[in-house]
Amino acid sequence: MGPALLRALALGLWAVVLLQSSVDGRLDLLLRSAFHPLVSAAGGVLLVLALLQLLAALQRAGGGTVRRDGPVALLSAAIALGLIVLPPNPSFADLASQRPADETGQDTLSFVLPPAQRSLTDWVRLLRSQPDPQLFVGDPVRISGFVLPMADGPPQLARLLVRCCLADATPVGLPVRWPRDQAAPRADQWLAIEGQMAVTGVPGQERLEVVPSRIQPIPQPARPLEP
Amino acid sequence: MDVLVRLNTAWALFQGLLLEALPFLLIGVLIASLARWFSPGGAWLRRLPAHPIGGPLSGAALGFALPACECGNVPVARRLLVGGAPVGTALGFLFAAPVLNPIVIASTWAAFPDQPWLLLARPLGAVLVALVLALLLRLLPEGELLRADLLEERQLAQPLATVSLLERRSGLIGLTAPTPLAQPEPARGSWREVLEHGSREFLNLALLLVAGCALAALVQASLPRQWLLAVGGAPTLSVLALMALSLVLSVCSSVDAFLALGFAAQITPGALLAFLLLGPVIDIKLVGLLGLLFRPRGLLLTTVGACLAVLLIGQWVNLWRL
Repeated sequence: MGPALLRALALGLWAVVLLQSSVDGRLDLLLRSAFHPLVSAAGGVLLVLALLQLLAALQRAGGGTVRRDGPVALLSAAIALGLIVLPPNPSFADLASQRPADETGQDTLSFVLPPAQRSLTDWVRLLRSQPDPQLFVGDPVRISGFVLPMADGPPQLARLLVRCCLADATPVGLPVRWPRDQAAPRADQWLAIEGQMAVTGVPGQERLEVVPSRIQPIPQPARPLEP
Repeated sequence: MDVLVRLNTAWALFQGLLLEALPFLLIGVLIASLARWFSPGGAWLRRLPAHPIGGPLSGAALGFALPACECGNVPVARRLLVGGAPVGTALGFLFAAPVLNPIVIASTWAAFPDQPWLLLARPLGAVLVALVLALLLRLLPEGELLRADLLEERQLAQPLATVSLLERRSGLIGLTAPTPLAQPEPARGSWREVLEHGSREFLNLALLLVAGCALAALVQASLPRQWLLAVGGAPTLSVLALMALSLVLSVCSSVDAFLALGFAAQITPGALLAFLLLGPVIDIKLVGLLGLLFRPRGLLLTTVGACLAVLLIGQWVNLWRL
């Protein structure tokens, strides 16, 4: 196979990497949705370039004037193939353990959903803007997230917030009063929890925690990252 | 934590960084290829100002025409150098354009609408860093700054009078103006030639990008970020820590403002600006790409110069804002 054909193959495989990532949900795991169209468009452009390169290679034999063209194209194709056959499978708990908790948030929220409709992230943002835990005691909770082991206490239910890609993911979590008669949940397990908010801690240092009435293991959602 | 789990996380981080950067790299290669097609000899490039200050400033201003991050800028800067543009102008573009373009300014504004000083300080700081680097790299002769293959291509596009007798490889000496080019102005190439050149350039750069992203992902997966953010409130240490973080994170300039939003509340304003200024000039991911332009000495001088300039700017901002 000549260098021009190898280049066409490599470009084609990179096009497959970008286009496949756009359709198989991989991007949902890696990038914020605002960047998805850019990746898809780049995949389309690469596919066109690969076809044109193939056409040029078929019309004119050879085409490689530089000796290292072949190895570069071959190595590039091999890496692209590796990306196609080895999808990402990150441990959110491992990633979160390397990152400080997200500290962003507004002092006041302009819109607040009813308690039972709040996601885990909504709850964390609300509690940051309204730090008095007594305001929320008894509120119904219906949230989902992954189990994040904590160095200084029982595991929390957490989500990863992403502004660009997985590289900037930061965790937000809610403390949970796990049932004493059950084994501790394993890290990374996705759970849906229904229950209500309760206060824990000594006077002056109270904090809210979720008291579950129902804990249901669920598969990882299609879009596990939150903006 | 299990090594396999950590490797899985690093693999996902690698893919995230790569998939985010590849489209911008492609934009840069497409623009460089189109420039090569429309102006094969790059005659307009040689008319760009060569003034030590005016050159880098005009190069920086070219950034408004290229809405890409630093990955996309490398192939365009290479095209500028190969086409015979003054080195200072090409360096001004390379170092300032990743910040001085509409997308990056808009994303900075979108991420920090309540900090208007940043909207002014970031482009100004980027121009200042680019000027410092362009002046600093002038200390190296072109032969010690640029890679041999790039220099060889560049000399073909330069007037003979500027190429030394040994380098020009011809017997023509002592000619008066107008001086001929070392090689006649080439005709516009066929679409096949442009396609072949662009494809080769994309695949070469993609390999370097892969290496940079892999290294950045491995470092990110093994280095707890809390360590770097723990000194967030200290005036000097916070600037140094955030500079180290920008080197490690290696995200593109078009999105780094959103990333900085995540820890902006924990750090000093100077550290925030330092993070937003250093990453577009140098980071782990960029080392390989810049290696396509510079010799190791040029790369080292760029890294040291950029770090010192950004540190001073960050310190000054902390004196002003804290």
